[in-house]
Amino acid sequence: MGKRRMVGPTAWILGGAGLFIGAVAAWLVSQGNPGNMGLCIACFLRDITGFFVGGTTGQGAVAYIRPEIIGIILGALGAAILTREFRPRGGSNPLLRFVLGFIFMTSALIFLGCTVRAWLRLGGGDLNALWGILGIVAGVVVGIVFLKRGFNLGRAKNIAKPLGWLLPTLAIVLLVFALVSAFGTKPDFATQTAEGAFSTGDKPPAVFLKTDGQISQVLKPVGATLAADGSIVGADGAIAASAESVTKAKPQPGGKRASLWISLAAGLAVGVVAQRSRFCSIGGIRDAVLVKRYDLLFGVVGLLIGATVVNILLGQYNLGFVGQPVAHTDALGNFASMAVATFAAMLLGGCPFRQVIMGSEGDADSFVAVAGMLVGAGFTHWAGIASSAKGLAPLAWPALGVMAAILVAVALLKRTRTA
Amino acid sequence: MKELDVRGLSCPMPLMHTKKALEGDPSKIRVHADSGTAKANVVALLKDSGYEVSIEESDEEYRITGTRA
Repeated sequence: MGKRRMVGPTAWILGGAGLFIGAVAAWLVSQGNPGNMGLCIACFLRDITGFFVGGTTGQGAVAYIRPEIIGIILGALGAAILTREFRPRGGSNPLLRFVLGFIFMTSALIFLGCTVRAWLRLGGGDLNALWGILGIVAGVVVGIVFLKRGFNLGRAKNIAKPLGWLLPTLAIVLLVFALVSAFGTKPDFATQTAEGAFSTGDKPPAVFLKTDGQISQVLKPVGATLAADGSIVGADGAIAASAESVTKAKPQPGGKRASLWISLAAGLAVGVVAQRSRFCSIGGIRDAVLVKRYDLLFGVVGLLIGATVVNILLGQYNLGFVGQPVAHTDALGNFASMAVATFAAMLLGGCPFRQVIMGSEGDADSFVAVAGMLVGAGFTHWAGIASSAKGLAPLAWPALGVMAAILVAVALLKRTRTA
Repeated sequence: MKELDVRGLSCPMPLMHTKKALEGDPSKIRVHADSGTAKANVVALLKDSGYEVSIEESDEEYRITGTRA
């Protein structure tokens, strides 16, 4: 066999794409998005679920249609159509892809971020993400073992054209809801975290808005007011939150957001770049280990560098383990949750970012995986499995065990000859 | 000529199969792919392995041909 070039032009394209996406993500934080969460596919899909069913699933703090997701889908759709890469396809075990998307989301919400945010968190100086990235490596290695044994979900086929439009159609529906909620009246059934809202750690939490550092409006409990001693008192006169817990209140992630147009435009640009470059947050390590190809690895390294540099330039870089935004310090939990999430993504054939991009290129199977993520997000919050800044929920470890067992079973059982 | 069909396969299988096919060092190889990603990955692998690549595009597939340069 002839000599193989190790670093070809595609590696540099991917490196540039990663730099761009990482820089945009870090910049979005300066525009109002949550810390180290300029872009997060899992978190943003979860917020979208919160908008529709947050009242039922207990997602009051994380309910907002993230325009970045809409932009990414429409940007990738446009790029795919222009390059004639929009090709309706599907039928490669959609049911299992739904389950894999569901499991990915549940694990990501135990980590507090997807495989993209793991790199972005590190780019913001959050060292807890190192455990997550070790988890990504572990998930990749486990996935490779099964890929080598012949795991696959079967071939996708060309399918009826309208089925290729499922994810783009969802994006349009989301855009309508986002615009109506921003410039008209939010539908009654929907939940939307108030912009800039803070919540206390009480159960149920007290939620309020601040102006110039002072509490300007108490939103929850309904009818509650701010007392002279700094506590929040309910309409019935009972203390809803002590003065101490009011001081310790934290911003609700769903209430931290860049303006709609900025988010949408950033999403569009990222969608185009991701579709053209095929950026993947797990494929880099996978291809390096499995086929000794390093192109995709340039993507995540670029992402890390882009995010780090822009975070430093904007004064957002904060190196350490403690007090990191939307993160907990449970090292083993961070490692295990990212390992399970990555294993699920390996079986899907790409990270959640890739699923969104492929769904925008007409891949109905990827749409089903994204649907699994949306439903999984609602379930994870409803069942109390999602982590908080305090750490893992009691149900997190049992959930990780069950999910790991399901993934191993799927990986063992699904083997089809393809070559 | 070596010929293989990676249509409908998820990542990284198109790359795995193509890499395996290259082990025999064929002077000519043809790969049938149906997604932009598989096409891009296979083309990059062939070019980096010293093949001259041509692509024929139809509604159903990308027919990628690599010829040893």
